[in-house]
Amino acid sequence: MKSPIISGAIILAGMFIFLKFLLPLVTAPLPASLIYLYLALVLSGILIYGTMSAPSLEAMMGPIFRFLSGKGQTGAGQMARLAVLVMFPLLVGWQTYSRLVPSDLPPAENRTIHPAPPGEFVGLSNPYPKTPENIMMGKGLYAAYCSPCHGANYDGKGPAAPGFNPPPANFSDPGTIAQLQEAYLFWRIKKGGVGLPVEGMPWKSAMPRWEEELPEEFIWKIIMGEYDGAHQSPRTWEEEEE
Amino acid sequence: MLNGLGSLRTLSIIGLFGVLGFSSAFANEPPASDEPGSVSVRLYQLEGSLPSEDPNSSQWDSVPSSEFNLAPQVHWPPRIQEVTVKSVKVKGVHNGQELAILVEYADPTEDGADAAALEFMVGDKPAHFAHGQEMLQVEGGPVNIWFWKNESGKAVDMSAKGFKTLETQPHQDVQAKGVWQNGIWKVVFSRLLKTDDAQDVQVEEGEWRNVAFAFWDGAVVDGLVKEKGGQKAVSTWWYVRAEPSADNSIFGWVILGLALAAAFELVIVRKLRKGQSV
Repeated sequence: MKSPIISGAIILAGMFIFLKFLLPLVTAPLPASLIYLYLALVLSGILIYGTMSAPSLEAMMGPIFRFLSGKGQTGAGQMARLAVLVMFPLLVGWQTYSRLVPSDLPPAENRTIHPAPPGEFVGLSNPYPKTPENIMMGKGLYAAYCSPCHGANYDGKGPAAPGFNPPPANFSDPGTIAQLQEAYLFWRIKKGGVGLPVEGMPWKSAMPRWEEELPEEFIWKIIMGEYDGAHQSPRTWEEEEE
Repeated sequence: MLNGLGSLRTLSIIGLFGVLGFSSAFANEPPASDEPGSVSVRLYQLEGSLPSEDPNSSQWDSVPSSEFNLAPQVHWPPRIQEVTVKSVKVKGVHNGQELAILVEYADPTEDGADAAALEFMVGDKPAHFAHGQEMLQVEGGPVNIWFWKNESGKAVDMSAKGFKTLETQPHQDVQAKGVWQNGIWKVVFSRLLKTDDAQDVQVEEGEWRNVAFAFWDGAVVDGLVKEKGGQKAVSTWWYVRAEPSADNSIFGWVILGLALAAAFELVIVRKLRKGQSV
């Protein structure tokens, strides 16, 4: 029969390989903190199982205790025990240091890129028909007002883009306007960066509050021109119901 | 057989081994960063006087720089589509009392209306980078602006909370010195880390502050100054921090940790040797 220490180590290692390398093949990678939590749970499971009866306790802990007590050890065993006894305080010291040493990294930013719009903008639909004239007018307005940042190719690479953090949205990316409804764009263009809720970090956004300068008609037509130019379609309620 | 009480205690040390091992492997993962360029300015700590008066001082040579891209100011009218200053290199130092920040950028001509500014958030409320402009869903705070213009040769300490609210502060705390040479402006701003003025940014060692930059090319083109007022090269918010003094108390804690761990081991091993009948 195998030693419970070795089986425990195999189970832990197997679990780690599963969580760290196999699971990401089928789903998103787990954060390290979650992997650590799962492994801690597995470890406590192993410890509980190993300490359920006196014989199992002896089987699991006996070798460890004998190893630590150092009785009857010679050569390699003695060296290994010494190494463990030296390593443990060093590990504690290193942990203490790395927890206390001040970090050089700026605060983490958890900015929500597409926060929820205010209620009055939910469900609005574009009142202008998608005629070639309207789309063309929208593209002209886009070129005048939006392209300096969002780019003549709708790719977020306008001449002003490199200076801004966060960068201007890339509309040709399927993760931006293709995921949003026209009403959402209407809100973002009309109220601009300053209209974002706190999770959108409005203080960092250079997006103008266009309601101060453009009539609503222009904004709706810009939205049309933007989708057409970026070769994307707005998300609609019908699609979601399918 | 095992000594019951001793074995429980020993069990806990084994668990501790495991937890420590795992947590050291995962504790300090650096965040992923695929953004080019810098995200912060570090004010390195120096002993003695700072090179506040001299942008060309050799003291600056050993200070690493951060670099930030700039954009034409297109957030609010009057907009500008093309600006002279495309990026800025920034260096910073402090000595526990004062700080000095050097900005270095390309501008092919020296003009009286050439100007540079640093902007900081003041207080705990986030301020919009455009002069602390009003936000619709978030209550914002004010900004402190350090403005230098070549023709005046000095810095002006200013405040704003929203467009058209920019004003010179009653209490001036900032100095600046600019030198133009071979198409490069070097401007040093300096101030005490902390002031008594509630309108000023207060720089605490080790704490992050938000900073943004603005530059104006004052060249005269067809009788008009090329960039002035809202027509300027800008950045949005980045971070700045005065490097904290070395905290030697950390080493005290490390030694305490080492000593406790060693004492713990000693107790465990003694217990095992006594309690365990092999």
